[in-house]
Amino acid sequence: MSTGWYLAVSAIVFAIGAAGVATRRNPLLVLVCLELMLNAGNLAIVAFARMHGSTEGHVFALVVMVVAAAEVAVGLGVVVALYRNRVPVDVDELRELHG
Amino acid sequence: MSTLAVTEAPHIDWAGISSLIALFGGAVVVLLVGLLRARFARLTLVPVLTIVAFAASIGLAIWQWDEDTSLMSGALGLDPLAMIGVVGIGVAGIAAVLLSIGATAPREAAHGEYHAMMLVAAAGGAMFVGAENLITTFIGLELLSIPLYVLAATELHRRRSLESGLKYLIVGSVGSATLLYGFALIFGATGSLDYAAIADQVAAKGLGDDPLMLGGVAMVVVGLAFKSSVAPFHQWTPDVYEGAPTPVTAFMATATKVAALIAFLRLFDGALIGASDAWGPALAALASIAIIVGNVGALGQSSMKRLLAFSSIAQAGYMLVGVVVATKLGVQATVFYVLTYVVMTAAAFAVIEAAERESGHDGISALAGLGRRRPLHAIALTLSMLGLAGVPATVGFVAKLRIVQAAVDGDYSWLAIVLVVGSMISFVYYLRVVARLWTDEPAGVAVAPQSQAVEVEAPEAVATTTAVADPKGLPAAAVPGGGAVVVTGATILPMTVLAVVAGAAIVVLGVIPGPLMTVVEDVARAVPELFR
Repeated sequence: MSTGWYLAVSAIVFAIGAAGVATRRNPLLVLVCLELMLNAGNLAIVAFARMHGSTEGHVFALVVMVVAAAEVAVGLGVVVALYRNRVPVDVDELRELHG
Repeated sequence: MSTLAVTEAPHIDWAGISSLIALFGGAVVVLLVGLLRARFARLTLVPVLTIVAFAASIGLAIWQWDEDTSLMSGALGLDPLAMIGVVGIGVAGIAAVLLSIGATAPREAAHGEYHAMMLVAAAGGAMFVGAENLITTFIGLELLSIPLYVLAATELHRRRSLESGLKYLIVGSVGSATLLYGFALIFGATGSLDYAAIADQVAAKGLGDDPLMLGGVAMVVVGLAFKSSVAPFHQWTPDVYEGAPTPVTAFMATATKVAALIAFLRLFDGALIGASDAWGPALAALASIAIIVGNVGALGQSSMKRLLAFSSIAQAGYMLVGVVVATKLGVQATVFYVLTYVVMTAAAFAVIEAAERESGHDGISALAGLGRRRPLHAIALTLSMLGLAGVPATVGFVAKLRIVQAAVDGDYSWLAIVLVVGSMISFVYYLRVVARLWTDEPAGVAVAPQSQAVEVEAPEAVATTTAVADPKGLPAAAVPGGGAVVVTGATILPMTVLAVVAGAAIVVLGVIPGPLMTVVEDVARAVPELFR
């Protein structure tokens, strides 16, 4: 199968993730969408690693998985702290700080 | 003897990675010492050990100054550019630790964890500035960012702190994901993850206009622009700067700037130099947008932290100019600017943190009449503001002069004009702060009104009592900064020390910039791809 198909899938997943981050209001769903974006990058890296026949890319993908897990762990921690403080868990309601 | 074959261990240059080891080892030690029951261990030993770890990493980096090699089979560069980055991050770290003494954030998050987190972030920054491989770059960036997300949210009982942590996490992760996708495309185009090999491939195959390569470069630009708060990817900066605890904001403003700008230099002026026709104009456009948006946005701010956030966006634009021109002069100018930016910003945040502790908010009104109450602080903040604006006899002037020189020399004269116009606008808000310091009478800001102050007798009591002022209950006009805990008899001494040292450095380096300039001249060795 040509690498182009893998790339197309990864580009679609990345776009879904980006759209989700921009539109979703629940921080948990935003975190899920961030995972989609990171894993879209992973898919592209693994596809290219197969194409070039190198192992470096696979190592990179493994590293990215660990990093993504750490990021989500921190994100969930902050969301739990927000719940404990009785803050409405809706990113649109986070308007104490007005950008 | 034994049937087992001898394993040939890979060669590890322990001396080369010693400054990283100092930071990581320091993090482990500080975390363990933070578990001790004695109050002395938590309140005194932990910050002291953290400063020792930072100082050790600076010392080891200076010791390794003359090295010029690659470590870990080409993953990590050991050259003056990386070492100067370690020094800059170390100075930023020491400043942040001094600001944290007696602050609310480390008490709420536990001292050991707070300081260990800072050391890990600095270690991530040290990896990021030395990275010569896309994997190391990504790990370094995340190791720098993830602890900062946590640190921004450390004031667990203050809504704004949690909010800023979550915002920073979401925006930062979008930046990382975009950067990662860009790395994937560059890997696809060149088939390699090493900077040197990428540069070779781009030169050999003429990948300067390959669509895969260009897409990758574009996404890398966007990802790094998110991280270094370059407009138009800056919207998170004022919010996060304002919401995060002030010592953390100071660390964020200085350490991430050093790391992100040096990573910019390494990646663009090193690995991607062959595609400079593509990214040069794009980065030049981003730099000029950042200069304009940052300076105009800062005009209407009443909170010092927000003002410095917009100012940092503009400063990031100035520093990018040195990356854009892709000459040795540009690299030197950017590194010089980054170092002076650390000093000037540290002085400003020291005074802001002290004023915030005394008055309970970070509005410009908290600084009114500071010239009478605390002349040392007022002088330091004046010097910092004049330096950031680029007035002669401060180091900020020398730095700006070098950047303008580099821009004109690199055929980007229009960018130099944008820079000069931008700094002219910046005088309006920097001088407004200075005027507030020296003219206004101290109208009751020295003593915080009882309605907003939650008095704390012993620093340790804050963890158990709900020592948070309700932001809604505060008079909005008097307190633009919002609800903050006011500690009676607040610790001010560390801030004074930092402000005096940084203020003195601004003047001394401004009058005698020669030594620092000679040091900075070495960094061009790290980017051999640049011939000019």
